[in-house]
Amino acid sequence: MKKLFAILLALSMLLSMSVFASASSEIAGTYDVTIWAPDAAVDLTKSQVEAFNSSNEMGIVINATVEPVSEADAASNMILDVSAGADLYFFAQDQLSRLIQANALTKLGQGAAAFVKDNNSAGSVLAAQAGEDYYAYPLTADNGYFMYYDKSVVPEEDVDSLEAIIADCEAAGKNFSFELENAWYNAGFFFGTGCHSDWITDDAGNFIAIDDDFNSDAGLIAAKGIYKLVSSPIYVNSGNADFASGSAVVVTGTWNYATILEQLGDNFGVADLPSFEVDGAEYHIGSYSGCKLLGVKPQEDAVKGAALNQLAQFLTNKDCQIQRTVEFGWGPANKEAVQDEAVASNPALTALAEQSNYAIPQPNIHGSWWDIAKVITTDVKATDGSDDALKAALQKYEDSIAAVFEMTDEVRNAFTLIGTVGGTNWDTDLPMTAEGDIWTSNEAYEMEAGTEFKCRQGKAWDTAYPADNFVVETAGTYYVQLDAASGEVSLVPAA
Amino acid sequence: MKHYSDLEFLRLSKGQRFVYKLTAFFCGIPRAIGRLFIKIWSLIKGAFLAIGREIGDVCSTFKNGDWKTKTSFLVMGFGSFARGQILRGVLFLLFEVVFIGYMFIAGGHWLSLLPSLGKEGPSSEYNAVLDTYVTAYHDNSFKILLYGVLTIFFIIAFIYTWRVNVKQNKISEQILKSGKKLKGSKDDLRSMVDENFHATLLALPMTGIMVFTVMPIVFMVLVAFTNYDGAHNGFSNNLFTWVGLDNFNTLLSWSGGNGGGQSYSATFGEILTWTLIWAFLATFTNYFLGMGVAMMINKKGIRLKKMWRTILVMTVAIPQFISLLYVGKMFARNGLINLSLMDLGWIKQPLPFWEDPTWARISVIAINIWVGIPYLMLITTGILMNIPADLYESARIDGANAWQQYRKITLPYMLFITGPYLLTSFTGNMNNFNVIYLLTGGAPTNPAASGAAGSVGYTDLLITWLFKITTGAESQYYLASVVGIMVFVVVAFISLVVYNVLPSIKNEEDYQ
Amino acid sequence: MNEKRHMGLKTLNRVSNTSIYILLVIISVIWLLPFIFIVLQSFRVESTYQVGYVIPKQWGWQNYINLWNSDFKRWYLNTFIIALAAAVLITIIQLCMSYTLSRFRFKLRGPLMRFMLILGMFPGMLTMIILYRVLSDLGLTQANAVPGLILVSVASSGMGYYVSKGFFDTIPKSLDEAARVDGATRFQVLYKIILPLAKPIVIYTILTAFMGPWGDFVFARYVAFGTSSGYNVAVGMYSWLTNDQIARMYTTFCAGGVIVAVPVTILFLCLQKYYVEGVTGGAVKG
Repeated sequence: MKKLFAILLALSMLLSMSVFASASSEIAGTYDVTIWAPDAAVDLTKSQVEAFNSSNEMGIVINATVEPVSEADAASNMILDVSAGADLYFFAQDQLSRLIQANALTKLGQGAAAFVKDNNSAGSVLAAQAGEDYYAYPLTADNGYFMYYDKSVVPEEDVDSLEAIIADCEAAGKNFSFELENAWYNAGFFFGTGCHSDWITDDAGNFIAIDDDFNSDAGLIAAKGIYKLVSSPIYVNSGNADFASGSAVVVTGTWNYATILEQLGDNFGVADLPSFEVDGAEYHIGSYSGCKLLGVKPQEDAVKGAALNQLAQFLTNKDCQIQRTVEFGWGPANKEAVQDEAVASNPALTALAEQSNYAIPQPNIHGSWWDIAKVITTDVKATDGSDDALKAALQKYEDSIAAVFEMTDEVRNAFTLIGTVGGTNWDTDLPMTAEGDIWTSNEAYEMEAGTEFKCRQGKAWDTAYPADNFVVETAGTYYVQLDAASGEVSLVPAA
Repeated sequence: MKHYSDLEFLRLSKGQRFVYKLTAFFCGIPRAIGRLFIKIWSLIKGAFLAIGREIGDVCSTFKNGDWKTKTSFLVMGFGSFARGQILRGVLFLLFEVVFIGYMFIAGGHWLSLLPSLGKEGPSSEYNAVLDTYVTAYHDNSFKILLYGVLTIFFIIAFIYTWRVNVKQNKISEQILKSGKKLKGSKDDLRSMVDENFHATLLALPMTGIMVFTVMPIVFMVLVAFTNYDGAHNGFSNNLFTWVGLDNFNTLLSWSGGNGGGQSYSATFGEILTWTLIWAFLATFTNYFLGMGVAMMINKKGIRLKKMWRTILVMTVAIPQFISLLYVGKMFARNGLINLSLMDLGWIKQPLPFWEDPTWARISVIAINIWVGIPYLMLITTGILMNIPADLYESARIDGANAWQQYRKITLPYMLFITGPYLLTSFTGNMNNFNVIYLLTGGAPTNPAASGAAGSVGYTDLLITWLFKITTGAESQYYLASVVGIMVFVVVAFISLVVYNVLPSIKNEEDYQ
Repeated sequence: MNEKRHMGLKTLNRVSNTSIYILLVIISVIWLLPFIFIVLQSFRVESTYQVGYVIPKQWGWQNYINLWNSDFKRWYLNTFIIALAAAVLITIIQLCMSYTLSRFRFKLRGPLMRFMLILGMFPGMLTMIILYRVLSDLGLTQANAVPGLILVSVASSGMGYYVSKGFFDTIPKSLDEAARVDGATRFQVLYKIILPLAKPIVIYTILTAFMGPWGDFVFARYVAFGTSSGYNVAVGMYSWLTNDQIARMYTTFCAGGVIVAVPVTILFLCLQKYYVEGVTGGAVKG
């Protein structure tokens, strides 16, 4: 018996030593890696990998196969079968949560997370983040849209007014291409009137609620703006470079820059989106601004995982991002690269920068929202433009998103604590427990004077106490207590 | 309804006869359904009785058999060996060894996991030295379900083979008792190309069908009872597990939303209605127009028959993804057709071929005619030429004009011969993925029906909807599976009703 | 009187014939135009995106040169291999199946045919995901998609026996019986008597099996995703019409369409006669 025990001990020591040895060994070596990049970027990516091989000092040699797979396909392909997916892939930020859910992205280590945070613009850092962790490397920060126009149809003085542009197009019998039957685009009208649509996730990245006010007075104004365009005969639901087939205005992004420049020649015009007028007030159409990210597939081999992260950092560094701007006009996410001359001299990127004053960074969005929100345009188009009909369309939208979360009664009725409590900033619901009508926070939180919070029911704002934010007067560690019957909120010092 | 005898029927006017036939058809449907249920019931009963008989037979074989037969119950093929049928014995024994080996090595493992579909999902661990996360994968629900099903298939196959082995012994004993000789291996081999030639011919195709058609269908039917979707993909994120009838409840319940303010059942009903309308129109427009074109080309005195035919047939030859994608783009709002018409000044605004629900539906049917006519033209040409010419001759002598000839001779003849074809083409059109997917992708969006399960369009058929559910944001495989089962139920129902009413299928031998 | 009526008929005939000619010409134009358009667009070199006119302003071979420089060669070869293998194997399988079910009367024949009828009522789309997983377990996806696609299409092809069974049903059974009386085995009957008579249906089956893979799109995309070297033409070319590529690749798509369609069409037109015989002999009977 003793002998057996000794053998077992020796074996386990041997095993742990070998694990330790492999972990501490150099990450030098040759790795076969598959990379998915959009068709246009395949050749450049290959040469950048070559550059990495010759310049890195860790002795990593990457034997890369670069396949042309568009950003949109990359996400759905990875989700279909992670094991057959690429080790490194380009994707658009709105896919981040789907990819995390499918376990198709590896969490970044501390060094990599610091690399992302230190080098990239705030919006793009946010895009790579879920909860406290980082999951991808920002590649570009140009995933937004603005307006290309034909100068021979739309005179330069008209480009700030949606009404004037529509009139110009109608007069010339030319189309206005704006892919409004796509939530990514039609949401711009709502952001322009001050609406918001934010998704709330828990720590594991699961969506738990939506904070959305598209169905409001401001939303009605946006719907009127959409109606102005879609009710015109010259409206085309398209985001393609349509100038050769009858359009005088196309709302699209940097990826169509070269094609449109070729189509329009001397008549090439580019600007931020116009404003529309409702009841005498002007509203500048907003937009989403987003990033493209580079993701790393979770690896079973730690050494290869580390090598891949090194490669990903190289591919998203300043120089590689500037190369992409020069080659395809992609706007960089890197803070230093943005200052580069190649970026500043690109008219499309300039227009994008102007539009960015009205753009909101694209948050993590529940996959089904795109299908629900795009219907707003279809519905608005089918109305007669009256307030009631437009309101009905927005009401339907609200009902639809409400149905996405079939919350249990338990969650719907529960109160949670939200505010600047416990290191959160109005973005996380902290749990509370009930005893009869008295709800108490599960933990005591350290609060400074001036800390604000509310208690809300069902993670929504329909029922929330107190009416104005509760403001802490004296610093200390407190439990928060709510009497749901009276709506009274009080602090209970922790013993 | 009142039943007429033949004589009474003949006394009716034409209109009355038509009404009579029509009511007879529809009144026949409930009875056909009733018959169907009785048939299914008797099938089930028959199956149980047959199993009972088999068990009885096995017992009596054991009781009455000699020691060779009795050993064969444990060691398959022993009786064949002992009686000199080496080839059969080797095959039986081999099968048993493979089966037992498989069950020990893998089959038992998969079967034991089948009830839970796996226990441990993947895990991720931080490696501090390399500052990176490492993933370890464990159970795979998908494989457990797949290999579990395969193992059950294998067990059934084994039981069947074992039964054959027992029966063989009984038969051999009887043959030997009657003083005849048993067949040797050589005879067995020879029979494979003679009296058992059909088995030889069917072996390969049927294996393929079992593995690549039957097994996947069984698998997907089982998926309808799990929560397999994008969030539970069974391997790389969460395992999936059995959920009973929940998914059927979701699809069939009248309350509860899919996110579009409409219940799944309402959405399903809407798509089903359009699918049936589409299948009906697509089948019959093609049928009659194709026949018309064929008759025009075949008309006496029309020259260059071959050329006309060739021109039309080109659409059959060119892959659909080229022709349909191209034609779809031609009819787009800023496509060639609209632009040319506007240039000509015929229209001021582009025609909403793909934007307006009604336009879009008419457009897909019209383009489907473009796709389908050539095929129908080919089929009907052959049949038209087979109609005996003297029928027309005598009709002409009786003074029938062209329309009457068509009504009285051509059409009945065609309908009789092509009845089964019409049915298969109807069900084929219900599942016509290509035309809808490549032309519209389901567009325009139907706001009321779109929601959490993905967007649904006015031209979506059940089959394209199913595709969208599978590939949509949520990848709800379980829901797709339920929809697939529903499609099967609908198609099977229609086919059975029509089969029971159609005359020309009932008696296959008559037709030959 | 009689004479006059005859004349009337003749004029009537001439009028109706003329209107038929007019109709046929219109139909032909409608049927041919899209193909003529594709051919014309494939020679347009002044721009690569969709435009509102048909006749190119500048003609050239640039789009075909682009094709040659892209992965299209590989896709074409893949598709050709799949088509060739499918043509041979599917024909063998389907002929085995249909000949057996047409000629032999055995105990399981009826249940078997009913079983396959029922199987055919399940939407095939449903099984895509599992077939993908099975192939992926066998290592026949992505770069190895070609053998994978061949395997799947051949393995389930037995289900499509209807047309050729219908054709075999039309060959008189007395031929078999006569030969059997003369002492021929079943195999000899098939080989020496039936096959020569079944030439149209054999060619029909080869032709349809060969043409299928050129349009296989949904499943092929599922199996080969993310690996250009495993694509077939349909999958590869479809990606050229996606939003981020259509402006650059539209005319190249047209050129690819021509290259795919021309050989298939020529082959089809050459064998048209057999195709028609096969269809009329078999399809109707079902």
